Amino acid sequence: MRVIGVYNIKGGVGKTSTAVNLAHLAAESGLRVLIWDLDPQAATTYYFRVQAKVRGGSKKMVRGKSELGDLIKGSDYPNLDLLPADFSYRKLDLLLDDSKHPTSQLSRLLDPLGCEFDLVILDSPPSISLLSENIFHVAEALLIPTIPTTLSLRTLEQLYDFLHKQQLQSLQRLPFFSMADRRKTMHQEMMQQLPRKYPEFLTSWIPYASDIERMGIHREPVTAFGRNTLAGRAYQRLWEEVIGRLRLRVKG
Amino acid sequence: MRECRSGPGGERNDDSGQEFTKHYNLERESIPIEPTTVDGDCMTSATATDRHFSLAPSSPLAPFLAALEEQFGCLVEPPQEVIRTYYDSFDWRLLDGGGRLWHEQEGRESRLFWSGSVQIEWRQRGAVPRFSWDFPHNAMRSMIAPLLEMRALLPQVKLHLTRHIIRILDQEQKTVVRICLEENRVAVPHGEEGSVLPLAVRLEILPLRGYQEESAALHRWLTTLPYLHKSAPDLLEEALAVTGEVAGSYSPKLHFHFTPEMSARQAACEIHRFLLAVMESNLAGVQGDIDSEFLHDFRVAMRRTRSALGQIKGVFDPERVAHFAQRFAWLGQITGPTRDMDVYLLGYCDYRDRLPKPLRSDLDPLRDFLIAHQRQEQRQLAKQLEGSEFQQLLTEWRDFLTHEASHDGGPTLGEVVDRRIDRLYRKVIKEGKAINDHTPAEALHELRKRCKKLRYMMEFFQSLYPAPEISRLIREIKRLLDHLGEHQDLEVQAEKLRHFAHQMAAEGEVSADTFLAMGMLVGDLLRQQQQKREDFYQQFSSFAERRNRRLLNDLVTQRGELT
Repeated sequence: MRVIGVYNIKGGVGKTSTAVNLAHLAAESGLRVLIWDLDPQAATTYYFRVQAKVRGGSKKMVRGKSELGDLIKGSDYPNLDLLPADFSYRKLDLLLDDSKHPTSQLSRLLDPLGCEFDLVILDSPPSISLLSENIFHVAEALLIPTIPTTLSLRTLEQLYDFLHKQQLQSLQRLPFFSMADRRKTMHQEMMQQLPRKYPEFLTSWIPYASDIERMGIHREPVTAFGRNTLAGRAYQRLWEEVIGRLRLRVKG
Repeated sequence: MRECRSGPGGERNDDSGQEFTKHYNLERESIPIEPTTVDGDCMTSATATDRHFSLAPSSPLAPFLAALEEQFGCLVEPPQEVIRTYYDSFDWRLLDGGGRLWHEQEGRESRLFWSGSVQIEWRQRGAVPRFSWDFPHNAMRSMIAPLLEMRALLPQVKLHLTRHIIRILDQEQKTVVRICLEENRVAVPHGEEGSVLPLAVRLEILPLRGYQEESAALHRWLTTLPYLHKSAPDLLEEALAVTGEVAGSYSPKLHFHFTPEMSARQAACEIHRFLLAVMESNLAGVQGDIDSEFLHDFRVAMRRTRSALGQIKGVFDPERVAHFAQRFAWLGQITGPTRDMDVYLLGYCDYRDRLPKPLRSDLDPLRDFLIAHQRQEQRQLAKQLEGSEFQQLLTEWRDFLTHEASHDGGPTLGEVVDRRIDRLYRKVIKEGKAINDHTPAEALHELRKRCKKLRYMMEFFQSLYPAPEISRLIREIKRLLDHLGEHQDLEVQAEKLRHFAHQMAAEGEVSADTFLAMGMLVGDLLRQQQQKREDFYQQFSSFAERRNRRLLNDLVTQRGELT
């Protein structure tokens, strides 16, 4: 079982749509995929038309009183399951802090699912918290959607600093441009500058596209309802690059 | 079955070599495969049966779909057209072993499925492998190989499936459970292209994780429908029943039910007709060179025919018997060389394993020689079997048996068989006891022939005797025969290898290393043969022990005493 986190300190950068579309493409390629919506806003859960509710809430989950496997919901797509969000996730940090090994709780919870899934995608809420530290510990790679603006550069630097201080160098970082608008000069400039400073930047990027916003109307991944749209194709390119970077063995 | 490391598949480019290597397992599979660790295929546990329903072929589908739509919000996905072909060996070894192998073609998607103690799905590209060793080293191969052995996979039953996936939706239009509905047709065997027969419509509930209640509600509702049967028959079994085909109807095993009062002629005719049917069933496979087992079964039936002709005495005209004995001896001669080559190729891995590892590759030219000569002999054989001589034998023999079966009279089976088995047994004991260290090997071969006659007689007529006793005696003689067979095979193989060496030298340049390796092999075979010879006395005395002698004596004399 491989685990990837989709993360950025900043909100509104396209984390959820990245998680949803890559999970859909991964499942289509034959991998058994679990997407875990860790954001109490529950946007991923909404896109999959599932009720944002976890039986027993996050308290029972973290304290090991409910099996994670029992909380999983099958999606409308073969090979793709969802762990829905719950409003109680807003207090997840407090619960984690209460436990014995606060930064490895996610890892402990996911462990029993090892033989059921090939890939787990964690959709995380913004900000640096104990939950994000858990994600850094359990994931082998972080997909970091980055809007090509100066503000984004700042948050990226903050994240890198944090990972460095926490000695998390082995965590693979996969930043890529998200919500990019090539008509904007600033976006163009940043898309040239940033990869020079951070060579690990993926070459594929996701444009700012209304099709992605329409995911909320369709309540489906854009790769399902608009496979050949600009956005749909961009996510496919991104997925191909992620397969290559992480050397994922896809079956299709 | 054992396999060798370096097969010729990748080394030879001419079709001949590749075509013929396929018939034998010439590659080693040294590590047993853990089903769960193989790439490319995915394994799951067996599916639950209580999710299956079927609709009688006469019930229309439309009312069901209308009722479903009224009860649940649902969405029917576009239908998928699937061609499913079940594969098995000629004698259905996979089905006998409790498994089913099928191939599904849906558009460009091609998948192979195994269903047995585990379910395996493999996204396979290209043609369905013909032999188990043509499979990549995956979980499917590890399931199939022990059952299939040297036999080829043949397409046995072809189905046309129209698959509808119906999604049951909740208020959010989210799928909560699926139904897989299949309208199936089976292709009529040997029928015109496209001619099919309908099968029952099948339904399977496909539950979705986390929506158990919704699955249960659907299940409850389906069980209330009067036109739905709870459960669906196995699809392969249903298809076979509809087409009237019987899986496993072919078996070369002898199962006669005779009585001592029966006419010996009628019994002889029944045996011969059965053996003729076995030969005829295997004929196409022998001619088409599908796998080596067709010729094997063909020859066993032919040998049994020869033995029955010679041993069931006093029932047919001796002149006709002599004529047919001579014709079947000819059939033995023309089929022998191909079988010999088959045997060497099937046992080739064993030859390699007998040599020290560094010398094993020296034997490769022998393998190529065997492949080339098997091909030659096979061609020759196919020609002979198409020829008028063989066809005439079949017709004459069939007519003869029909004619003889229409006559009554002559001795009863009890009179003929008891005496014959008794005499054969006495001869076996006498000849066996006469063998000592100085007896030429020829005497052991003669003893083996005699034992075979005795074994066939016991097997043909075992229904005349109490089962435990006759089975015990058959087991005993089989054990002795195995020993004598191995002794003789080792000698013949050693001799044949020397002959091959001369032939290889005459046919082209072969390195001295190959001959040295073959020489070592000959030495090893002869050493083993000597060991078998030394063990003979123990094997024979176990067979000829007083208990067995008395047992046989009781069996063949009790009838006389009773009457």
